[in-house]
Amino acid sequence: MTTATISQGNLTPQDVLEQAASLRLRVGDFHEKLVESNYAEAADIADSVVTRPERPAHGLSLDQRIDRLVTSRLWGFPLMILLFAIVFWITISGANIPSSMLMNVLIGRIYPLLHVGADAIHLPWWLSGLLIDGMYLATAWVISVMLPPMAIFFPLFTLLEDFGYLPRVAFNLDNVFRKSGAHGKQALSMMMGFGCNAAAMVSTRVIDSPRERLIAMITNNFALCNGRWPTQILIATLFIGSLVPAYLAGIVSALAVVGIAMLGVLLTFAVSWALSRTLLQGEVSTFSLELPPYRPPRVWQTIYTSIIDRTLFVLWRAVVFALPAGAVIWLVSNIQIGGESIAAYFINWLNPLGLLIGLNGVILLAYVVAIPANEIVIPTILMLTVLTTGISGMGAGAGVMFEANSPAGAMAIFQAGGWTLLTGVNLMLFSLIHNPCSTTIYTMYTESGSRKWTAVAALLPLAMGFVVTFMVAQAWRLGAMIFG
Amino acid sequence: MGEVITFWVPWTLIMLALAVLFWPGRGLFWRQRRSKEERERIQVEDALKYLYFCEREQRRPTVAGIAGRMQVSENRAAHISQELQEMGFAVMQGDVIKLTGDGRAYALHIVRAHRLWERHLADETGYAEREWHARAEQAEHSLTPEEADALAARLRNPLRDPHGDPIPTATGEMVNEHGQLVTALEPGRSGRILHLEDEPEGLYAQLVAEGFYPGMIIEMVDQSSDRVRVWADGNEVVLAPLTASLISVQPMSMREELIVEGAETLADLEPPEMGRIISLSPRCRGVERRRFLDLGFVPGTEIAAEMISPGGEPTAYRVRDTLIALRKNQAGMILVERVEG
Repeated sequence: MTTATISQGNLTPQDVLEQAASLRLRVGDFHEKLVESNYAEAADIADSVVTRPERPAHGLSLDQRIDRLVTSRLWGFPLMILLFAIVFWITISGANIPSSMLMNVLIGRIYPLLHVGADAIHLPWWLSGLLIDGMYLATAWVISVMLPPMAIFFPLFTLLEDFGYLPRVAFNLDNVFRKSGAHGKQALSMMMGFGCNAAAMVSTRVIDSPRERLIAMITNNFALCNGRWPTQILIATLFIGSLVPAYLAGIVSALAVVGIAMLGVLLTFAVSWALSRTLLQGEVSTFSLELPPYRPPRVWQTIYTSIIDRTLFVLWRAVVFALPAGAVIWLVSNIQIGGESIAAYFINWLNPLGLLIGLNGVILLAYVVAIPANEIVIPTILMLTVLTTGISGMGAGAGVMFEANSPAGAMAIFQAGGWTLLTGVNLMLFSLIHNPCSTTIYTMYTESGSRKWTAVAALLPLAMGFVVTFMVAQAWRLGAMIFG
Repeated sequence: MGEVITFWVPWTLIMLALAVLFWPGRGLFWRQRRSKEERERIQVEDALKYLYFCEREQRRPTVAGIAGRMQVSENRAAHISQELQEMGFAVMQGDVIKLTGDGRAYALHIVRAHRLWERHLADETGYAEREWHARAEQAEHSLTPEEADALAARLRNPLRDPHGDPIPTATGEMVNEHGQLVTALEPGRSGRILHLEDEPEGLYAQLVAEGFYPGMIIEMVDQSSDRVRVWADGNEVVLAPLTASLISVQPMSMREELIVEGAETLADLEPPEMGRIISLSPRCRGVERRRFLDLGFVPGTEIAAEMISPGGEPTAYRVRDTLIALRKNQAGMILVERVEG
């Protein structure tokens, strides 16, 4: 150990530094102690100047009674399941009416009017096609299927949050998430993901541990969002429900959809487990969960903020992405090179890959161009199928998305497109396991600030989707060869 | 389908194979070319480290010693020591190898880089304790002295690594050790663990698995030629003498021992029991420690176990009128004494 000699005359800054360094080696690390005493001092000051209401000497406070109930071994889980079932039921049954009203107005009334107006001012057909059939229609579609469920789901969810119940859900479920290397609060972002993955990305902010937050973001896509439920229900009804006698069809197709959602939950845990042990093992991880006191929900304020912060926020991003996507959908179907549309080229090109994984080129192209919102995947598939198979009397023209009048009508188009049971099953799987929509990807990027983790969140599920559908298709074909 | 099998599948496989081989900077081809030079450098540096430790512990480093320590053939070891001399890092004196000034400075840098990196892993990342050493063994070879200085500055010039080993400063100074082996403690006396020797790895892993960590307080129960019994955080642990010899301790004064007597952790409290926080375990560091302090887990604070999750974990504790849920392994890092409610 060096000891600098200190004499008044020739003391240089270097001497002082050396002296300090050698003293430091003798004193040791006192930083921790300093911090700790700071906190202790602060606590002492708070105790001497803050007066707190006397806690009841006997018995439990109201908060404690509620806590005993909602976290009890007997009632904790049933109560939780009941509450969420009610929330989802209100959302699904309540969204149907405003959704079809919006459809009626935006697509049934305004859409034809726009065409009349365009004809009146003699817009060239390609311009009115691009603007009205492409951009307007895609945006109107996204708004009318996305807005009502979100405007119902988000306020309900926020009310539960405001009341103080959601942290108790995280408390109840934490052990399951702990075992897969995740945080109990991921239960909340997962629930939110069933509504909308993009909004769920924002909701992961409550997870204060960096590693667990990334896990929650990357795996959120496995929560089957609102935009994908209709696809699942339609395909399950047409392909799975038709396998059994009519009186069982409803229940069997419902079970198939629930099965897909459960598979999503299982994948969430499996991927969380794998990520926390591989890619993310070096990220900082801490755990703490504050259980705030209960308070009466502020209903109007909650409805206002959840509509502004969550619903309109997500809707705006979806619209921003839907406009160009609508243009692309219309353009690829209408620009012709050598007598064939660009869409047809892409579809032919994607067909081998599509068939290899038990889907087809139309479906893959639809997933590429309909990246802004899962809601417009089925309309795009229908339009592209009619376009490429050239069935007459169906559809609304090249590049114009439409919904079949009835499930049977959709089935007729799918069959014309050469769909089999395998196509249906794999579409359900691929709809669950593929890249998140562009709104979600963009939100993930702004929330995480990391290109790398955003890329992982986008590409990991996509790669998994290819692997899963490929394996199912191969097993299917093998089975058909052996038993068929 | 025919097209798929004859065209797409083979082409995909060929492209994949090419990517694996020649991917810029990462392909097997580049790795192979780079790794030979790198292996040589790493062996030289490891040999320097060995020479340095021999010097500190006043052992006589030999070529055979290098071979044994680094698990290479004697031929290889001779080649390495030849290279060390050519580079001016060591000289031969009979069959003993001696470090030159340059060699010592280089070795010190490697040791410094290793311990700083372990500190960084412990404080700033989420890697498990058992991975620190292996990861630092790799990082020590790639950290430049400038990077080591920057890292030290960012970590606020720590004096010790998370195992309790002193970290040399850039000029090669470090804190003195005044530890003694745990086996030198009288029965009934306690000591604070200063250092756990992290080699041999198997025995170190065993100590970590038993929950030993630097800063922990242990009490000698008794020892014989084939076993050592100690009290550690309220549990009795039996160790083989060889394993126990990896632990060095700072003996405690009688007064210090009184404070620690009967210390339990928060994880031992069942609702509705109450306690008072004595201290946060030194195992809890970095972000986690700051968070605990932020939340009010400050020594002297009263705390009550309130309820257990129906899943079995976590448990909610009431601290300063706030309910905070902690998992078992976290609650185990907070030492408390019981208080009658």
